[in-house]
Amino acid sequence: MKKVTLQYFAVLREQAGCSEERLETAAATLAGLYAEVQARHGFTLPLSMLRVAVNEEFRDWSSPLESSDRVVFIPPVAGG
Amino acid sequence: MPAFSFSTAVIDTVRGRAALADPACGGYATFEGWVRDHNEGRAVRRLEYEAYAALAEREGERIVAEAIAKFGVQHAACVHRVGDLDLGEMAVWVGVSSRHRAEAFAACRYIIDEVKHRVPIWKKEHYVDGDSGWVNCERCASPGAHEGHADHAVPRATGDRQEHGSGQVHAHAAMTSSHAAADFSRQIALPEVGAAGQRRLRAGSVLVIGAGGLGVPVLQYLAAAGVGRIGIVDGDVVEASNLHRQPLYGVADIGKSKAAAAAARLRQLNPEVTVAVHAERAVAGNLVDWLARYDLAVDCSDNFATKFTVNDAAVILGKPAVFASVYQYEGQLQVYLPREDWPCLRCLWPEAPRDGLVGNCAQAGVLGPVPAALGAMQAMQALKILLGLPVESAPALHVFDLLGMHWRSLKAARNPACDHSPRDLQTDAIDPAALELEYPTLAAARAAGLTLVDIREPWERAMDDPAARIEWHLPLSALLQGATALPPAGRYLIVCAHGVRSLALAGHLRSLGYPAVFSLAGGLAAVAG
Repeated sequence: MKKVTLQYFAVLREQAGCSEERLETAAATLAGLYAEVQARHGFTLPLSMLRVAVNEEFRDWSSPLESSDRVVFIPPVAGG
Repeated sequence: MPAFSFSTAVIDTVRGRAALADPACGGYATFEGWVRDHNEGRAVRRLEYEAYAALAEREGERIVAEAIAKFGVQHAACVHRVGDLDLGEMAVWVGVSSRHRAEAFAACRYIIDEVKHRVPIWKKEHYVDGDSGWVNCERCASPGAHEGHADHAVPRATGDRQEHGSGQVHAHAAMTSSHAAADFSRQIALPEVGAAGQRRLRAGSVLVIGAGGLGVPVLQYLAAAGVGRIGIVDGDVVEASNLHRQPLYGVADIGKSKAAAAAARLRQLNPEVTVAVHAERAVAGNLVDWLARYDLAVDCSDNFATKFTVNDAAVILGKPAVFASVYQYEGQLQVYLPREDWPCLRCLWPEAPRDGLVGNCAQAGVLGPVPAALGAMQAMQALKILLGLPVESAPALHVFDLLGMHWRSLKAARNPACDHSPRDLQTDAIDPAALELEYPTLAAARAAGLTLVDIREPWERAMDDPAARIEWHLPLSALLQGATALPPAGRYLIVCAHGVRSLALAGHLRSLGYPAVFSLAGGLAAVAG
């Protein structure tokens, strides 16, 4: 199991009910991690509309997940 | 030898010269900046230079590369001292070798001027009377400063010496000779601005798309800073629910055009600013036409369709764009710069998000200071672009959470799968095989998502009503000489007087591989208005 820190923004934060959480996961990739938390929090946004960053850098969804990674899920926002 | 470097020891000009030697070169020009014994009438004893090395080296290397490309010289390099320097010591060295002398001189001059203006280097002067102060490193950019002095020539004052510094007073008087109201002295006092920077702002122009929660602070700060020309694009009217986060407007403005009401307030704020009003929604068909007349775009819109349209227009025209969006207590900020290595909005969001899937301010709610904070940062980025200062060390999406007070800068890279080309434009069904299209009005063509290009000669345009003109003008003669070109990514409607030249050009461009170039059938003679 890997221990990671997750951070949520915008509508994901609202749906998760928190802006940050630590969790232990068996997910191998970032896509797997999103599927896991999507099921748990009921996120409505599909993965294809989001971007993911690990340790302050954008990554592909197929990138492997490492222990102690800091993962940020970012939905696009448009308010002005 | 790197193109730009810092040195803590005496600059080795022999080594620098050897690194630029080339049998193909017939000319070698150098510039040396020396520590002088006085500044602003005060006797200087020694100097101390300090630089933000990581950023400064990158910007310095960019400047040298620009000079090589711009003047076609063979080799160029610049070395700047940091640390303590005594009188007479060399503070900066520039060397250029080229086939002929003219380019060598020009490139050398360009490098020293740009280094002075753009590279973050600070200088601390130690005076004979024991006092000291950090002062500007942007001196040579000011006209008249080059003659008679190798370096350190323009008098100016810093904040801690305003009482007896005369430079600031001169700069102020020079910038405000015609209007007593405008006083830019507090920003001219900044080393990175100075009198030369203020002139850049005055010569600058910005198109602001959206005059709402983000747009209001952007417009206020750009006008107040003395940006010479500002365009406002907004098709909405002021509503009562806007006022809590758009305090440029008052209750008396409710129901009025936002763009017009904002323009009126900006003219009060700074009568020197020229404000253009575009009281329409920005669409693919009109935005390229408008943005062509400005230095950069600031996107303050509240929907994805407009944001991507602004992105596409900036990419097509090769202009910078500053984007921001907010959601409740959060904001995102991103700058697009027209450089090979810089990501556009589509690089970051390959699947252009659809409006309605994530909430806007009306549905999700917003507190005024959130767009105000993001808008103020957009204004800051826009001013840096106009001033020619480094915008950021690397492209990034900055994500702000003003409830939790977190700020993350996520490094963004150019997406190799993104060709930066416009997609999802609001288009009617246009037959791509057609070469000629008929429209009753130019507005109808714009609404179909086409960018209008007037290819008539300047003397033909001179007779038009200026208000009805197509703003993007590329005369056919210039296009045929190769003096200017249409960027390939775009959907164009070529317009001439009667549709003959435009049809020929559209056919020619299609044969060159332009996928979406059309000719207005019958030309301007066939459309109303």
